[in-house]
Amino acid sequence: MPTFKLDGREIPFEPGESIIKAAAKQGIEIPHYCWHPGLSSPANCRMCLVELKPAAGQRPVMLDILELDRKTGEYKPVQKPKLQPSCQYLAVEGQEVLSDTSPHVKEARSHVQELLLLNHPVDCPICDQSGECKLQDYWLEHQHTQKRMRDEPVHKPKGVSFGDTIVYDGERCVMCTRCVRFMEEVAKDPVLEMRERGNLNEIAVAPGRKLEGNYTFMTEHVCPVGALTTKDFRFKARVWFLRSADSICQGCATGCNAHLDYDPRTNKVQRYRPRDNEAVNKYWMCDEGMLSYKFAHETRITEARVSNKKAKRAAAMESAKSAIASAQPSLLAIVLSATHSQEDNVALLALGKALGTSSVYIAGRALGKGDDILVDADKNSNTQGVQALAPDARQWSMFAHDVGAGRITHAIALGADVASDADILEKLDALVVLAAHGGPLTGAAKVLLPAASWAEASGTYVNKKGISQLSKKGIEPQGDSKAAWQIIAELGKALGHDLGLGKLGDVRKKLVGRNSERPPATDTGAGTSEAGAE
Amino acid sequence: MARAFPKKPAAQLNATVVDYAEKTASNQAYLPEIIRGLGVSMSHFFKNTKEMIRGSRPDPVTERLEDGITTISYPEQKRPYPDRFRGVHRLTTRDDGSVRCVACLCCSTACPAQCISIVAGEYPEGDKRRGYEKYPVKFVIDELRCIFCGYCVEACPCDAIRMDTGHHAVPYDSRDQFIYDKDILLSFKDKDGAKKSENPRHEPGDPSFPGVTRLGGH
Repeated sequence: MPTFKLDGREIPFEPGESIIKAAAKQGIEIPHYCWHPGLSSPANCRMCLVELKPAAGQRPVMLDILELDRKTGEYKPVQKPKLQPSCQYLAVEGQEVLSDTSPHVKEARSHVQELLLLNHPVDCPICDQSGECKLQDYWLEHQHTQKRMRDEPVHKPKGVSFGDTIVYDGERCVMCTRCVRFMEEVAKDPVLEMRERGNLNEIAVAPGRKLEGNYTFMTEHVCPVGALTTKDFRFKARVWFLRSADSICQGCATGCNAHLDYDPRTNKVQRYRPRDNEAVNKYWMCDEGMLSYKFAHETRITEARVSNKKAKRAAAMESAKSAIASAQPSLLAIVLSATHSQEDNVALLALGKALGTSSVYIAGRALGKGDDILVDADKNSNTQGVQALAPDARQWSMFAHDVGAGRITHAIALGADVASDADILEKLDALVVLAAHGGPLTGAAKVLLPAASWAEASGTYVNKKGISQLSKKGIEPQGDSKAAWQIIAELGKALGHDLGLGKLGDVRKKLVGRNSERPPATDTGAGTSEAGAE
Repeated sequence: MARAFPKKPAAQLNATVVDYAEKTASNQAYLPEIIRGLGVSMSHFFKNTKEMIRGSRPDPVTERLEDGITTISYPEQKRPYPDRFRGVHRLTTRDDGSVRCVACLCCSTACPAQCISIVAGEYPEGDKRRGYEKYPVKFVIDELRCIFCGYCVEACPCDAIRMDTGHHAVPYDSRDQFIYDKDILLSFKDKDGAKKSENPRHEPGDPSFPGVTRLGGH
């Protein structure tokens, strides 16, 4: 691989790659606003300027400038190198690039910062971006100076609603055009544009349109400052109070990597942020997925129920035990869930094996709508995984058929969602359901045990490409809930079968032991991990 | 049963011997000492009575610096607090009486006792501050948890919270009376009886609001 030198360090690059991208791959950040790895480079923020050393035998490109001599008070003619934007300048073999080590670059950064903050309202206390704002970070890192302009800053439209999801503040905007380019290049709906020039510049929605579609949240996500804020997160929390867990979106089979931001003081999830993963979701998430963090609290089942009446956990476990113990192994079925993690499913499989049943079914949500960017029509987060765990398992439609024919009288089911209606469940003698959310199955359950949701337990999910990904635990389990595999292990113990699933590690070992479960080799970045790794 | 701990050897006596006063008839009788003690009390009684009749009681604060004991009749009489005494919090208001706080949560971030809880909200449609600012829908201070360090006042970028009421936390019957909500905090005045803060605010839309606003209905 060819290399170039950045501040004396050898940086490998792919031919055709820009300096800033090659450096970013090596973990070196050249300060930038407008450049985003997933978008084109307009080079309009001028923050990523670097000094390029001329090749041997060539003259450097120099600019004549006048410099004030502070001692004599006179201007004298000097020369300084012409700096280049590293987001647009392609890396060249053997090129010597100076970034942090060049005094000219440092000066340029400081001045660019000063220009960007010239008309900025500095309303950080009110701004939702405060705490994760590039203007704040770079001021501290590269500027450090007070504002010198004594005039009143230019005032622009504030609190403009761009659509149902996004609010725009023109005064905070640095005109990086990331949102404009996102809508054009990724969402393929060029509805945003820039109008006016100079310091009257502002972002506007195309006349007669509003910012809509399934990717509006990403305009806020790419915004490096607080110009775009989402109506959902607006004024809801300060980001420095939030903790973040590496999570997997449960909205569909794509399995987008996300940061689950939650407030540990109130045990409440506040938002999702996309987590970069080149192999899965790149840098993006859809609106539906971004809002699906709400299911950490909405429709959550936090208490046990016996015959649809509130019950203590211990009492419900007792009822579940007696219900299962009374069943004949040949008439007992287990229903795996495509919305639950591999850990939960493999535990239920182990319980089924110990109880001697051979009827295994898979349930999950019905097909929905997909698109050709991220959204998949399969709305289950772990379809691939659960099918690999139980290749012989029958589909949900067969379950209704078998119940009708009297081949099943008792069932243990994971999850709440089924693709078709659940009326046939009335025919069952006993149905034990472990679920985190309310759904058709929980309504019909004789015994309902509250399971932890994806936000409350560490779990592995296999996406539609067969990539097995780890979703880490964020908030603490709510109410009486516990991880489903833990409940299953306890249930097994109560029935006299030690499943050997005392710890999460034991469950993971069971997963890795299966040949069909070994995740295919991928070139994924952060977030993807082998099953079994915590 | 074996002892859990071995018995310690007796510690060496590390003390000086006190010379007791010689027992005499006068100190064994106690009476002269009692009369001397009563004499001290009576001298203060007569001194206070004389000053009360003459109306020449000295200032309790300055007299505190002198030797001796001064009694003040609290709560009718109070010792004057220093100018920068940190009393119970109050929320300051703008000229139109609305709360100055913009719910930035800087105070609750700075609070080491974590006693401030704020829920932010957006001004309603049509309000001139909508889009510019937010306001506290809820603003609650737990005065029991507060340690009166004054960090919240330091942290406030809007001069919206102050501790200049001049009163200290009042004793109440029940704990929930110490939970001060926004209305209570707004009702307090500063120690001079005023409600305003020092620096006036210039709101967007006011004639005094500085700035070049865009013309032509943009």
